[in-house]
Amino acid sequence: MDIFRITRNAWGQETLEGISWDLLPVAFGLGVAFIVGHLIWRSLRKR
Amino acid sequence: MALPAQTLSGQASLITRHAPIDRVFHWITALAVLLLMASAFLPILGLKFSWVPLHWITGVVLTAAVLFHAIRSTLFRRMKCVVPRPRDLRDFTQGKRAAKYTLPQKLMHAVLGLAVLLATATGIVMLAKVDTPLWKRDPYLLDASTWGIVYVLHGAAALAILTLTMAHIYFSLLPEKRAYLRSMIGGQMTREEAAVHHDPARWSGNRKGDPRENGT
Repeated sequence: MDIFRITRNAWGQETLEGISWDLLPVAFGLGVAFIVGHLIWRSLRKR
Repeated sequence: MALPAQTLSGQASLITRHAPIDRVFHWITALAVLLLMASAFLPILGLKFSWVPLHWITGVVLTAAVLFHAIRSTLFRRMKCVVPRPRDLRDFTQGKRAAKYTLPQKLMHAVLGLAVLLATATGIVMLAKVDTPLWKRDPYLLDASTWGIVYVLHGAAALAILTLTMAHIYFSLLPEKRAYLRSMIGGQMTREEAAVHHDPARWSGNRKGDPRENGT
C-alpha cells in the first residue's frame, strides 16, 4: 500500500501527485473501528 | 412571587444551548462537508461524474462559513469556552461535570476544526488550478513539488475529516447524546438533560448579557 501518489514528469523526474487513495479504505476502516470499539466499551460499561 | 424551577412547566425548564446563527453555521458546514466528501471520494470509488464544479463551489461556501465562524468566535464570543485546557482533563478524570462543552466535545471541535482549516487553506490555493467565471486558472502559481505538498496536505485533511465525521455522526445518534442533536436542531435542551454532563454553576444555558453565557 502506497502513502503517496508519485508520477514521472516529461524529464523522467519523480513528482509528488498527492496522497495515495489506497488510504481511503483505511480512513473509513478507522472510523468503523472507532465506532465498533466505542459500542463494545459502552455495552461493557453498562453491565 | 417567582415559582421555583421544579414547579415550572416543561417549557420553562428549557435552556438555550445554541443560538440560531450558530445552528445555521453548523448545518451549512455539515452539508458542505458531506458534499465535498461525496464529490471527492465517489469518483475515486468509480462513480464518474463532473465533480470539479460541485467541489470548488461547495469549497468556497465552506471557506466563507469557516471565515465567518472564525471571525465571530474570536471577536464576538468567548473562544476559550471551547478550547481544551488542562482543567478539562482534570475534571474529566475526576468525573466532575463540565461547563458548556465536555472534554470530548472540545477535542472533537479542535481536531475536526484543524482538519477543516487545513482542507480549506489548501483548497483556496488549489482554486488557482480551476477555470471559473471569476478567474482564469494559473497552474504555474507554484512549482510542481510545492503543488504536490499542497495536494498531500489537502488529501490528508480530507481523509481525517472522513474518519472524524463518522465519529461525530455516530456520537450524535447515540440515545444518551440525543439531547445535543436536538439542541443543534432546535437550539434548546432541558435543564435536567444539561445537568447530566454540565455543572449548572458553570453553565446553565445561554443568556444575553450574561458574562458566563458561554460557560468556561
